[in-house]
Amino acid sequence: MLLQNTPIRRKLMTMLLGTSAVVLLLTCAAFLGYELLTFRRESLTQLSTLGQIIATNSTAAVAFDNRTDAAEVLAALQAEPHIVGACLYDKNGNPFAHYPAAAPETAFPRAPGPDGFRFGAGRLAGFTPVVQRRGSERLGTLYLESDMGAMRDRLRLYGLIALLVVAGSFLVAYVLSRVLQEQISRPVLALAEAAKAVSGRRDFAVRARKLGDDELGRLTDTFNDMLRQIEQQNAELERRVRERTAELAAANDELEAFCFSAAHDLRTPLRTITGFADIVLRHHGSTLDPEVRRYLGLIHDGSDQMSKLINDLLDFSRLGRQPLARTNCDLARIAGEVFRELEGERRDRTVDFQLGPLPSAYGDPALLRVVLINLLSNALKYTRPRVEARIEVGATATAAAPVYFVRDNGVGFDMRDAGKLFGVFQRLHHPHEFEGTGVGLATVRRIVERHGGRIWAEAVQGAGATFYFTLPAEGDRVPAEPAE
Amino acid sequence: MTRRSFGRSVRNALAFAVLTIAAVRAPAAEPPAPAALSAEYQLKAAYLFKLPQFVEWPAGAFADAQAPFVIGILGEDPFGVYLDDFVRDEKMDTHPIVVRRFRRGEEARGCHVLYIGRSEGAALEKIFAQLRRQPTLTVGDLDEFARLGGMIHLVVEDGRIHFSINADAAKAAGLDISSKLLRLATIVPPPKR
Repeated sequence: MLLQNTPIRRKLMTMLLGTSAVVLLLTCAAFLGYELLTFRRESLTQLSTLGQIIATNSTAAVAFDNRTDAAEVLAALQAEPHIVGACLYDKNGNPFAHYPAAAPETAFPRAPGPDGFRFGAGRLAGFTPVVQRRGSERLGTLYLESDMGAMRDRLRLYGLIALLVVAGSFLVAYVLSRVLQEQISRPVLALAEAAKAVSGRRDFAVRARKLGDDELGRLTDTFNDMLRQIEQQNAELERRVRERTAELAAANDELEAFCFSAAHDLRTPLRTITGFADIVLRHHGSTLDPEVRRYLGLIHDGSDQMSKLINDLLDFSRLGRQPLARTNCDLARIAGEVFRELEGERRDRTVDFQLGPLPSAYGDPALLRVVLINLLSNALKYTRPRVEARIEVGATATAAAPVYFVRDNGVGFDMRDAGKLFGVFQRLHHPHEFEGTGVGLATVRRIVERHGGRIWAEAVQGAGATFYFTLPAEGDRVPAEPAE
Repeated sequence: MTRRSFGRSVRNALAFAVLTIAAVRAPAAEPPAPAALSAEYQLKAAYLFKLPQFVEWPAGAFADAQAPFVIGILGEDPFGVYLDDFVRDEKMDTHPIVVRRFRRGEEARGCHVLYIGRSEGAALEKIFAQLRRQPTLTVGDLDEFARLGGMIHLVVEDGRIHFSINADAAKAAGLDISSKLLRLATIVPPPKR
């Protein structure tokens, strides 16, 4: 289509004006054509009438060979400025008198031609017989020539009028079409504006303004109706999400409360078991059978391990309850301190610790310390089989936010198990190889996610692992804290 | 060429043309007029035929549409058979033209055109009296013809034939002379103011 990419306003204007112009031009052309034809016919009639009059008036002059009178009759043609020439011939066809009198005789046909007037080369000319009514005899012939100037003048005048009419009509059509095209373009543009607002700002409360009750009005109604439905559905969905979230949060709270109280309550009987196993070993150890002593030792170790587990679980549980106290923290300093505190873990070992410059992080320093404790103690733990352990803490700057990482050259893990890594009690290694409760990485993930960050790991079985995490910068959107 | 010199040369050419036309008009195949009719009378004969074309006769001048149109010659006839040949088979409207010759004025009543010959100079007034109120166009070339009561006086001047027309006489006879003819003529007597 010709106007495919032009705005609808211009399209409408072009259509209206184009149609008007074509109609006007065709009308004018028809008008001019008709005028031309009519005028030719009229000119012919007029000239033959004039010829008749002159011929009739000159009969006596021709009959009685009176050139003076003939010249006088012809001179009357002065009144008709478009008659450029006239000539009278006697009955033998010899020129007898002509007009204008000063013109040379060569300006006229040497002898009369057939009667009648004809158009030719910008002029109209012809011959009329000179006959006196009472006699049957032809007395002579009159030649008349018109320069068609009248037709030119008239056509020029008509052309000018047509031009003015076309220009005027076009102006009126322009003004009218400017006003009328609004009838269509305004509602369409209003609709487009509304649609743009909806899709651009996701604002479903916008409504297109209705400007009439035609097809466009109905389209606007339908559009608004669709918006209302979307809005309703959105509200309904949000309400449902809120309900579900509340339900889930309630269930989660209940579960956590149960875990906490269960863990808390388990500690008392456990302390009894550990305490009394200890007392028996310490005060009656010497009297006991070595076999019994060994069993008691196992009971003590087992309940000790269980106690640790319960403490870890309580810590993990508490993480979900404490509010975050965020501030700008120097992760490098925290990492350095944690590494020094883990001195017990690296006794009698060679550990190459690399601490790269770390961008400042925005978060709860106590919790971030827990993250680093867990990640670094894991790194130390799983590099134990290495003669020379290497642990690196650093950050890679990406476009969005820095990605912190803790890398080791330990035993690594199979990437197929990466999904299980951060679950509670999920352990990839046997407790005999590497001790642990299976709560550490779950805790780390919980802290990072509460900060609105992300954590993931990459590893090669037997060749080390890298743990990455991100923390949103200050001012970034952070997921809402779950309702207490 | 100025207008005046053009006019003069036209006039000079005219005298020649008049003679030429008259000569051409003379029927070559017919026997020549006795005593070789002069160019002047040949032209006058033609005028006797042409002049009536510019004159209207009253309704009563013809008995019916086929009634002849009579050209009469009174007295001395200068045309002879030339005139008869000239008008043979010609018609005035629907009326066939005939030529008649008369000796006496009273015989000429009923003519439509009457040429009065030079022999009638002394009897002019009597003839006009006899033709009073008759629709007869009197034509002649005697001196003072029109002033004496004739209607059309043919006057030779500068080698051309001019007319003097007594419009009052024609009007009195019920004849209506075309203004086109009057325009070419000298009106006698001059119109009174």
